[in-house]
Amino acid sequence: MTGLRVPPGAKQPDGPAAQRPDQPAAERPDQPATAADGRTGAAGPGPFGAMGWLRWGWRQLTSMRTALVLLFLLAVASVPGSVLPQQGLDPQSVQQYYVAHPSLAPLLARLSLFNVFAAPWFAAIYLLLFLSLAGCVVPRTFRLARSARALPPPAPRNLARLPHSARYETRLAPGDALDAAAALLAARRFRLRTGDGWLSAEKGYRREAGNLLFHLALLAILGAVALGGLFGYKADRLLVEGDSFANTVTSLDEFHPGRAVSVADLQPFSIALNRFTASYVTSGTLRGQPSAFDAYIRYSAQPGSPARGYDLRVNHPLNVDGVKVYLIGHGYAPVFKITDGAGRVVFDQAVPFIAVEQSGLTSEGVVKVPDARPRQLGFAGVFLPTTVNAGGRLESIFPAADNPMVSLVAYAGNLGEDSGPSQSVYQLNTAGLRKLPITPRPLAPGQSLKLPDGAGTLTFTGYRQWISLAITYDPGQVPALLAGVAALAGLLLSFFVRRRRMFVRAYPAADGGTVVDVAGLVRSDAGGGFDDEFGDLAGALRSAHEGQEVTAPGRPAAGTDDPSHTDTERE
Amino acid sequence: MPVNLGLAQLSNNFLICTVVLYSLALLAYAGDFAFGRHPSTAVIPAAEEPELVAAGVSAAGVPAAADRAGPGLAAGPAPTGSVAAGPVAAGPGSAEGAPPPGVPGLGERSRLSWVPAGRWVRVALALNALGLAVHLTGVLTRGLAVHRVPWGDMYEFVTAVTCVAVVFFLALMIRYRAYYLGLFVMAPVLLALGLAETVIYTPAGPLVPALHSYWLAIHVTAMTLASGTFVVGAVLAVVYLFAGRYARRVAAGRQSASVGVFRLLPAPEVIDRFAYRTVMFAFPIWTFGIMAGAIWADEAWGRYWGWDPTETWAFITWVVYACFLHARATAGWRGRRAAYIQLVGFGCLLFNLMGVSVFITGLHSYAGLS
Ligand code: HEM
Repeated sequence: MTGLRVPPGAKQPDGPAAQRPDQPAAERPDQPATAADGRTGAAGPGPFGAMGWLRWGWRQLTSMRTALVLLFLLAVASVPGSVLPQQGLDPQSVQQYYVAHPSLAPLLARLSLFNVFAAPWFAAIYLLLFLSLAGCVVPRTFRLARSARALPPPAPRNLARLPHSARYETRLAPGDALDAAAALLAARRFRLRTGDGWLSAEKGYRREAGNLLFHLALLAILGAVALGGLFGYKADRLLVEGDSFANTVTSLDEFHPGRAVSVADLQPFSIALNRFTASYVTSGTLRGQPSAFDAYIRYSAQPGSPARGYDLRVNHPLNVDGVKVYLIGHGYAPVFKITDGAGRVVFDQAVPFIAVEQSGLTSEGVVKVPDARPRQLGFAGVFLPTTVNAGGRLESIFPAADNPMVSLVAYAGNLGEDSGPSQSVYQLNTAGLRKLPITPRPLAPGQSLKLPDGAGTLTFTGYRQWISLAITYDPGQVPALLAGVAALAGLLLSFFVRRRRMFVRAYPAADGGTVVDVAGLVRSDAGGGFDDEFGDLAGALRSAHEGQEVTAPGRPAAGTDDPSHTDTERE
Repeated sequence: MPVNLGLAQLSNNFLICTVVLYSLALLAYAGDFAFGRHPSTAVIPAAEEPELVAAGVSAAGVPAAADRAGPGLAAGPAPTGSVAAGPVAAGPGSAEGAPPPGVPGLGERSRLSWVPAGRWVRVALALNALGLAVHLTGVLTRGLAVHRVPWGDMYEFVTAVTCVAVVFFLALMIRYRAYYLGLFVMAPVLLALGLAETVIYTPAGPLVPALHSYWLAIHVTAMTLASGTFVVGAVLAVVYLFAGRYARRVAAGRQSASVGVFRLLPAPEVIDRFAYRTVMFAFPIWTFGIMAGAIWADEAWGRYWGWDPTETWAFITWVVYACFLHARATAGWRGRRAAYIQLVGFGCLLFNLMGVSVFITGLHSYAGLS
């Protein structure tokens, strides 16, 4: 614990005593926020009425112990967010969880356990923590600012009793010796105070400043996150080779705006996908593992502004007017040309299929042909990029489209799109459909499937690839980064700067010379190293004084640890 | 560029040699405990942090740092403190304040007074250093074989983390002559390396596109450095807990023979202080690693923080270590409780490394276990 926050009267040695958990809390200087006004030790609210209770509660909230407990709670509260599927991350898994645990899931949902990081109880923990943080840190900041000009305390009388001390004799007069010491310490940027025959110097205020900077920066990070949540947005869009879209709400597949975002705020760029390539490892044990994805896109920042080319890759997003566009997924979109029973071409387009496994990118999808007559047509299909026949079963053994084939099940009837809730484009509602009796035969590009009963013909004309894009706008990003850098800087300052004091006393020796006592005191030198620094400083002082070594009285020779010679009373 | 299979094989051989050398070093460290001659006279006082009370004159009586200056160094720190004599620590419950007789402590600088290591320790050190050289070469050749930083999958990560742990530990040991730690650090290191070579082993190969970024080098290097250091911190916490228990037993007058190893350890406070310093070293690196990861996630996935399981556990680990740092500054929480918190933090780190990639699926395509 830091001495600066020790209230008067609570000056026990810190080390071993603090390791006794049974030590009554009130005696311990563990409440930085209250230490300064000397009111620590108040065990309860006392007869103060409402104000007293309020003040007591505030003091509890801003105590180190509360901070510790809240921090720990924050850690524990995050655990379910990683163990249970989360709505925001993986809604599909949440659905699966409902199916697997039908009685438990609604209960968990009521506790917001599928949305932990947006849960009210999670917010309560971190808001309390940050309130505690503010209550602890803001007063300390003012105190530090006020102490910016404060002088170090007078030198103790008996310097030999301090943890680090040295003594030597010099021929300089005491006053001259002190002047020389002052010059030396001032040159090393110590803050000085002089008195009758003594000198006291202090350095390392940046330690407290660093600690405060760190905690204030944490507050700033929270602010930056809130900023992003209010004014930012996230969107998704699937894009097939050859297609394009504009950044408007209607042409986005998913759109999650921040609370303060209006539709008119979207940056009006447009993007077209020319071509997508994926490369894979072709041999060895890692065969099939992707090694590169490149989406060659053209974009224009405004309607009418010139289009520019861009190679969009993973880890290489596009930045348009502060909005970032990321390549987050890819797949195949087989192209089908369908003629209905009336002989009209009712369908000719690429249909995005979704991969169901990664090593061969076997993908599934559905084709819906609402315009087909006499009956509507529907197909559920599997696309196999590199097809092989494994004992009668077709499967894909490689993710690249080396031997693409599709295999389809055909339906005719009513797609049910006119009534009921809107359907997913990836699912076929087979309630009003009848499965057509066709022998399953995989189609290679160019091959056709003739539907029975004159229902029409389907031709698998080839495939294109699609990519999925994430579009994000987060105005809190740069502030969060700056706050993060500040936090790290503060952390380093607070860990590696030590606050230390040097004391010098000079007085006439019995034999006519001058005795110089030098001592050093450090607070929280957990990083170590003050021993060396004190040695350096004392050595520098001594050579500045051209001093001669003498043994300090009352000190055992170096090397023996005499336990009886220890903890002295300080005057 | 294709993987250089010859170099990859060479790297495997180097790492097997490493395991052999470390095992021999471990045996030698154990031999030192069993057969080495240990000075048992010096009582090492605990190194404590003196306070700087607002009025410096009334500075509390605080045991001083236990550094013993070499003779002739007048300006050297003065050995004024011993916990046993502290007014509060003298109470019956303060067993940790009674340092057991032991070898020279961690708190001392070898530069000032070099106590020659025993024969067993010298052999162990030589084997350990040789093992480390081979270990480093193995990690390096793996990197050369795959043309990138050699911590791109779980196997590589474990070999790199253990390497950092051994570097950090050897530095600590040589600087502070903490020879008695050899056994405690090398045992888990050896366990992890053995698992890496058997269960986790992944052949050398290129990375998936998600990992094609210089942020891999920055982020994972920071995480590797911090994790390796946290390993040493956790070992120190465990040793601290055992040494503390031993010290309490001694203080209670119950000295049992079964704890002979702990008789040779320095005072618990010395170990505690080093655990603290170790965490202080690793924590900012971990913080930086998380920040670098956030920047990378922003580049790769379009958000700097998304509560992906791996991110969540890195955050939990960070918060628990922050708890530890707070506990060190909170009355009633220092010492044993803080050590337990540190171990919980390390448990979270381990779970993130092992558990999350195995039990929980997320975006981090790192594990290489499938
Ligand atoms: C968001 C929550 C918090 C986090 C992540 C956090 C983290 C940290 C870390 C990492 C340290 C060690 C670095 C340093 O000394 O500068 C620290 C120290 C400190 N924190 Fe916090 N803290 C949090 C909240 C608080 C609160 C609420 C308080 C006040 C009650 C507080 C008071 C302190 C104090 C006084 C220290 C210095 C301890 C010492 O002197 O060694 N912190 N904190």
